[in-house]
Amino acid sequence: MPPLLDLANLPDADVVTLAQQGREAAFRELVRRYERPVFSLIFRMVRDRETAEDLSQDTFIKVLNHIDKYSPEFKLSSWLFKIANNVAIDHLRRRRLNTVSVDGSPHAASAAEAEATAFDLVSRGESALEELESRELGSSIERAIARLRPEYRSCILLRHVEGRSYEEIAATLDLPLGTVKTYIHRARHELRRELEHLKT
Amino acid sequence: MEHRHLLPDEIDLLLDGEAGFGVQPLQAHVRRCALCRAELEAARAVTAELESLPHFAPSPLFTERVMARVQLFEPTHVAALDTVRRYVPQSRPARVLAGAAAVSVAAVLSVAAIWLGANADSLFFLADTASERGRSAVAAAFGRLVAGAFGEPALDALSGGGIAGIAVALTALLAVVLVAAFGLRAVAGASRRQRS
Repeated sequence: MPPLLDLANLPDADVVTLAQQGREAAFRELVRRYERPVFSLIFRMVRDRETAEDLSQDTFIKVLNHIDKYSPEFKLSSWLFKIANNVAIDHLRRRRLNTVSVDGSPHAASAAEAEATAFDLVSRGESALEELESRELGSSIERAIARLRPEYRSCILLRHVEGRSYEEIAATLDLPLGTVKTYIHRARHELRRELEHLKT
Repeated sequence: MEHRHLLPDEIDLLLDGEAGFGVQPLQAHVRRCALCRAELEAARAVTAELESLPHFAPSPLFTERVMARVQLFEPTHVAALDTVRRYVPQSRPARVLAGAAAVSVAAVLSVAAIWLGANADSLFFLADTASERGRSAVAAAFGRLVAGAFGEPALDALSGGGIAGIAVALTALLAVVLVAAFGLRAVAGASRRQRS
């Protein structure tokens, strides 16, 4: 049976219109177009493949289940990246709150109590997934990106990996333009410093 | 421009390819100053590395997992339109041919409908006659069946009507239903045995 509509060549706004009419093929086309950019952004933010998949799915589900609310005056990609960034930042905040220190409880009143609440990390070898993650995110530049603050990280990734303008990034992340420029400037500076440090 | 090296913000301006009145002095300074040129090149190297970072692919089942949780509702008229579109040919010559065929079929059907309308009386008479003959044939066959199964008196009772006739008719109906049920059960059992 010939393809119903040549969705691959339609602009985003037209595909969204078809999706708003309930066409499943249009939903699938939107996922196909943006699964890699969205997943890549979230993966570089959270640095865990399984978590990045779950968060990416959540991003698409939120957008597609509310596709009727989409307004064509905004870019669909900006909406997707906005939600992707928010779910990644929320996850990182929850992870920071749930982090257990290997050096013992921060509420320990004495050295003995700290030692009693510390635990040893036993090396158990990398799983296949961890090995893949090491390969994918193991380069110097990826490790340097990982050391950036989440706010700087999302700005620099949107600027240089996704090729967004400063104005688009400001609209996507709901930040003032000046703040975006500051974050990117600091991110570039920290990346340079980190790369020089990793080389030595 | 003063005799000083470029500030980090100015390096950023050049990095972003900004154009404008304030940029030309910066570019002129970079041409003259090896240190600032090296700073700019180092900054460009970092952004080049960032811009060459690949997109990662999620797992192959990613789309299916998303679609499993998306609330889809395709209106009936949209589904109907899509079904019709599937059968419309893609190329223009094929569409012209299909259109001509559709017009021909519509013309033939229209002529047939007009002929039927003009000859409706004759057709009703023929249908009536055929139906009457069919009814007679079925009644005769049923009568032979009843006579064969229950004897001529049963047939006379059925023809005469009354309680006896109704009893005969119901008995015959029950017999038919039971035979059909047992027959279907036998067929289903044979089919199951064949499958296993």
